[in-house]
Amino acid sequence: MKLRTIALNTFGLFLRDRLLIIFGVLFLCVILLMMTPLLVVKARTTTSNMQQAQTYVLDLVATTMFMVSGAGSLLAAWAAADTVASEMKSGTILAVMARPVKRWEFLLGKYMGVLLLMAIYVVMMFGLSYLLAWMGGQRLQSSSWILLVYPMLRYAIYAAIAMAVATVAHQVLSWGLTLMLGVAAALVVPGPDQPHNLALRWLKTGLYYALPSTDFLSEDRFLTIKHATLRQTGWLEHLTTVAYGLDYAVVILLLAMWSFHYRSLKRD
Amino acid sequence: MTAAALEFQAVTKTYRKRLGGQEVPALTHVSFRVAPGEACAFLGPNGAGKTTSISILMGFLYADWGRIQVLGYEPGDVRAKNKIGFMPENFAFYKHLNAEKLLRFHAKLAGVAKDKAGGLIRELLAKVKLDGFGKLKIGRYSRGMVQRVGIAQALLGDPDLLVLDEPTSGLDPAGRKEVRDLILALKALGKTIFLSSHILSEVEQICNQAIIIDRGRVVRAGPMNELLATGDQVEIVVDRLTEEFEVALRERGAAVERSAQGVRIVIGSQHKREVVEQLWSAGCDVVSLQPVRGSLEELYMKLVGSGEPA
Repeated sequence: MKLRTIALNTFGLFLRDRLLIIFGVLFLCVILLMMTPLLVVKARTTTSNMQQAQTYVLDLVATTMFMVSGAGSLLAAWAAADTVASEMKSGTILAVMARPVKRWEFLLGKYMGVLLLMAIYVVMMFGLSYLLAWMGGQRLQSSSWILLVYPMLRYAIYAAIAMAVATVAHQVLSWGLTLMLGVAAALVVPGPDQPHNLALRWLKTGLYYALPSTDFLSEDRFLTIKHATLRQTGWLEHLTTVAYGLDYAVVILLLAMWSFHYRSLKRD
Repeated sequence: MTAAALEFQAVTKTYRKRLGGQEVPALTHVSFRVAPGEACAFLGPNGAGKTTSISILMGFLYADWGRIQVLGYEPGDVRAKNKIGFMPENFAFYKHLNAEKLLRFHAKLAGVAKDKAGGLIRELLAKVKLDGFGKLKIGRYSRGMVQRVGIAQALLGDPDLLVLDEPTSGLDPAGRKEVRDLILALKALGKTIFLSSHILSEVEQICNQAIIIDRGRVVRAGPMNELLATGDQVEIVVDRLTEEFEVALRERGAAVERSAQGVRIVIGSQHKREVVEQLWSAGCDVVSLQPVRGSLEELYMKLVGSGEPA
């Protein structure tokens, strides 16, 4: 009950956050701009260029979804870093924490509020991917849950990291650090050019699993969106990946709770 | 000795700046005790350590040293917080909520049953004279109205201990009186009140105990009557006094004031028995005899010096 109350209040605060509203409007403009070429392609598609049109449309969908997905990471990190910091800045945390609410409950409630925001974002992202494909006259053949669960896991991890850092540092620093970790994770993705040095290779692999790897938790690993097909993946692989993502988010969230437990609560 | 509602024993807190910066002692061996049902004033100049003490007792800050008990529990324990009503200084609120929604939010956190919350919120808004404004966004309230909402949220859940940090700041004289009457009514109900305020006349009317803190140390604490008693003078009020007797009293160093209510004589306590006997012998009716009380402001200025009270 307390967790739900804090989560819903946090979500309500996000809906009125000017920065997030500006982010949303700007992003909507970009999406609308990207829709235009799809409509043009659809109008010009004939039986002779259908294969070429399909490739073009799915390329565009993949690019747009990559952008939307990346923006989601920015949003998750910012929302999580700012949600506790803004309560400290305004002083509203004092009246809330004077209630019979434990510190971990407050933080978990805030985190749930962020997840609620991100869940709505993921559902919109899911709808958008189908809408874009439909607008381009194509169909995405994919499993819905993959498009919903994997982005959500990524955002849960980003939010947990940003929240953990925000318990000890300024929210902008926390946001920046979370993004840097994300970029670092992208740099250590195993590719065809593996280092010859064994130690380096181990280090890279270690970092790949230790850092919040967007590649490992990417739905792209299971989808070949450009060909509108779903790669056949066993349940064990899905289970392992989801468990890794959940485990990562939970461990970081526990770390955030521990850190928040010892921090001074005062108006910043 | 009854269990204290609030107890600090040798509480010490030092603020440390990060990366080996300066250390600022906020509290040094602060000890005090507030019994259940007492109204205790917590006084001191700005920077004396009042907010730090309140933050520690609410569990917002951790003390470096010492023992703190709030309603028999450690600070921050939800069992204690269940029975505490807290109003922070400059009460902050969620601007997008109206008073009803804010109180509903706090009621949920306080564990007030959903079916009871509506009635309770209406009752509280009426108590703080905000009925009719419940649906107006708090962002559009005046400062005084915000303070009243803060008081209303502190009263949610029928708390045993009220911790009020500057509850009347921003209120006009009529609003101050209303809040004062409200606190006095709560005191009459047996609630423990821990009140931090710079309005000393108000504190004097509400509280029966005071703690004065300066530079992180308790400089005086005790029952208000004892703190304000000067100890060396008594006040005798009689119905009438002859001119000759007045002259004789003045020769002994007494101060005599005549008013419609009677004659007030202030004299050294060493002469009180002798003077009262003479007054009785002269046929004067002694209406009252009590130690002379100083004002809280006088005591405060004496203890804290030129430290600005506001």
